[in-house]
Amino acid sequence: MSLPNQKPDLEDSINVTEAHGRVVREAAACAREKRIAENGSEPISLWLIVACGLVVATAGGVLGSVGSGLSYGTMFREGYVRTPPPGGGEEGPKPKEALAAYSAKGAKIYSAKCNGCHGSDAKGDGANFPSLVGSKWVLGETERFAMVILNGLQGPTSSGKTYGAGVMPAQGAGLTPEDLAGIMTYVRNNFGNAKGDVITAEMAKAAMEASDKRAKAGQPVTGTELDADHLKNLPGEPLDPKQLVDPISLAPVTAAKP
Amino acid sequence: MSSVTSTTTDQDALLRAGIDRSLRHPVMFFLTSGAAWLAVSILLGVIASAKTHHPSFLAECAWFTYGRVFPAHMNALIYGWGMQAAFAVIIWLMARLSRKECSAPGTILAAGHVWNLGVALGVMGILGGHGTGMPWMEFPAFAWPVLLISYFAILIWSFIQFRVRPEGHVYISQWYLLGAMIWFPWIFITANTLLHCLPGHPVMGAGINAWFRSALLFLFFVPVAIGTAYYLSPKVTGRPVFSYSLAKLGFWSLAVIAPWAGMQKLAGAPVPYFLPYVGAAATALLFIPTCSAAVNNLRTMMAGPDTLASSPSLRFTAAGLVGLIVLAISAVLLNLPGSTLPVTQFTLSGYGFDILAIYGVFSLIMFGATYFIVPRVTRREWLSRRLIKMHFLFSVYGTIFVAVVALFGGLLQGAGQETWQNAWSNYARPYAVTITLTWGLILFSNVFFFIHLTLMWLRLGRRSSHPTLLVSQHHTSSPHGEEGDIDNAGPGHAHAH
Repeated sequence: MSLPNQKPDLEDSINVTEAHGRVVREAAACAREKRIAENGSEPISLWLIVACGLVVATAGGVLGSVGSGLSYGTMFREGYVRTPPPGGGEEGPKPKEALAAYSAKGAKIYSAKCNGCHGSDAKGDGANFPSLVGSKWVLGETERFAMVILNGLQGPTSSGKTYGAGVMPAQGAGLTPEDLAGIMTYVRNNFGNAKGDVITAEMAKAAMEASDKRAKAGQPVTGTELDADHLKNLPGEPLDPKQLVDPISLAPVTAAKP
Repeated sequence: MSSVTSTTTDQDALLRAGIDRSLRHPVMFFLTSGAAWLAVSILLGVIASAKTHHPSFLAECAWFTYGRVFPAHMNALIYGWGMQAAFAVIIWLMARLSRKECSAPGTILAAGHVWNLGVALGVMGILGGHGTGMPWMEFPAFAWPVLLISYFAILIWSFIQFRVRPEGHVYISQWYLLGAMIWFPWIFITANTLLHCLPGHPVMGAGINAWFRSALLFLFFVPVAIGTAYYLSPKVTGRPVFSYSLAKLGFWSLAVIAPWAGMQKLAGAPVPYFLPYVGAAATALLFIPTCSAAVNNLRTMMAGPDTLASSPSLRFTAAGLVGLIVLAISAVLLNLPGSTLPVTQFTLSGYGFDILAIYGVFSLIMFGATYFIVPRVTRREWLSRRLIKMHFLFSVYGTIFVAVVALFGGLLQGAGQETWQNAWSNYARPYAVTITLTWGLILFSNVFFFIHLTLMWLRLGRRSSHPTLLVSQHHTSSPHGEEGDIDNAGPGHAHAH
């Protein structure tokens, strides 16, 4: 601004006083400020270097624990899923009584496949769709019932009446043996039916094999065919309704866990 | 002292006073409305925290469900208080350091009002149920372009001032502030366009969001705080910055490391699995820039221990720097993949880390800067030493409680969550109750800060040439001494017109 040895003339010296007054009045806070000094040049402390070195080593360890995972395709580290804590092992769901477990499975299939025609009360509508309640074919020989579900039905039903167009479409596509066992158990023990037995998955599997071996495989069964070929129970023993089973796999469980 | 040196000093003081005067309205607007948003945010934080241990509190009102109050709390804290405090400090510091008066205070003030409108509508949008569900970006989608445009309208003048500055030397604070000014639009535009305009796979969206949060902390709030500290500590003590090489190390390591951090929040999520590890390693490495900046500034301050005791600016700044060291250590301790990283997910400790960075570091240093800047731009001195002391006491102890309880309570909570047969609330409850009470105390102190600041804004501060210091150094025996000499006085009184 001005050289240090420059001599102020009179006018400037007046301004000095005036300016100083202004500073005191208007810029007191600015006038008492200290100037920012030149940057210091102290060396970086040794302990800070050591601490930073430790952190770099730690971060290297973090990065190193990726191992060979530095690829975009790797999503999970091997064994990332942690082992359950002691006492909290993988016990799975609690076992249920067979009748309840099979019926629960069957209820899902019923609401998906049967509900539309036979209705949520399984009474049909009396004109196009027959009732399943008290039906001889539902409650009677198990192989005959299974054949109707798997292949559908043409012509008159157990009561001799022909409903609607006289055709029930086949429902076997996509059913597993457990599904078939569930739906049969469900229908035979609900809606007022109370047969009290449980069709096992093994029995349902036998029914599917019998269905595949039919002479007219792929076509709906008729009352005549049912009476001729399928008037029998499926091989195997029905399950005791009180037997405890796994609610998912429906496999019998030997003893209830605490 | 020759009259020539006195003239240069006086002229220099008048130049600085002119710069301060040109920025009076924008700076005071940002600080005051920021302080108001801070009080609002803490109130929402109290409500949100109370709901974690008393879920029935305010349960009938949809506007105050936890899923709305908590995001409103965080967004008001970040965009209402944090960004506005940063604006005030950046525009003032950049003008002072570039030695240029602000040429567009009106534009800045107008853009500041637009920013406030955007934040207000955004917070109401969140409370009204229109939040986006992306943490720290919960404002409805209309808000971010408004905020971005007003951001540029506010800070472009500081870029220009820097460009036309008279001297070639760039001071340390200017590195940090310029860095933050450039990094914020980068991360804000990246995250918002990727998540609002070009939504990709939602899991990767969560990753981008986690990166945004980390980058907002370490590429905006932390550098603004460090840059301010690098101004205040040598300025108030009059001592040189302890070590220039340490400052360079701190700045460049921050610039290189911080963009990599953030994705560690996705550990265990189906993203390419090196990403969380890179994030964890980078966050741990952030110890280097944060710790070296904190140590450098604290060593500078310790050269003048008397000033440190008496100056409110320095005391707040020193507390923020200690917070920065705690933040540095917890960045390492919370990101060890073998032990702490898995247990701190889904616990209070993430919240504790964020609050420590935003309140315990950034806000405390901003308070320090506020106590320095406001007397200069209003040409009035702070009214009450007691109010400042109370603000300091509650803020510092409150921060220690909120952050440390959440950080390390979160660790214990995470360990407790591993035994999953027990109720989650058993582990979180004591810490959550502590956090609620402490936020209440911080709210109490900040309401007084807001009132104090508003009085200063209305130019009702003390008319005196003596600063308000925490320890009275002169004439304590005489109430009619220099301190009592309040009417625009001082040695130059006789020359006044």
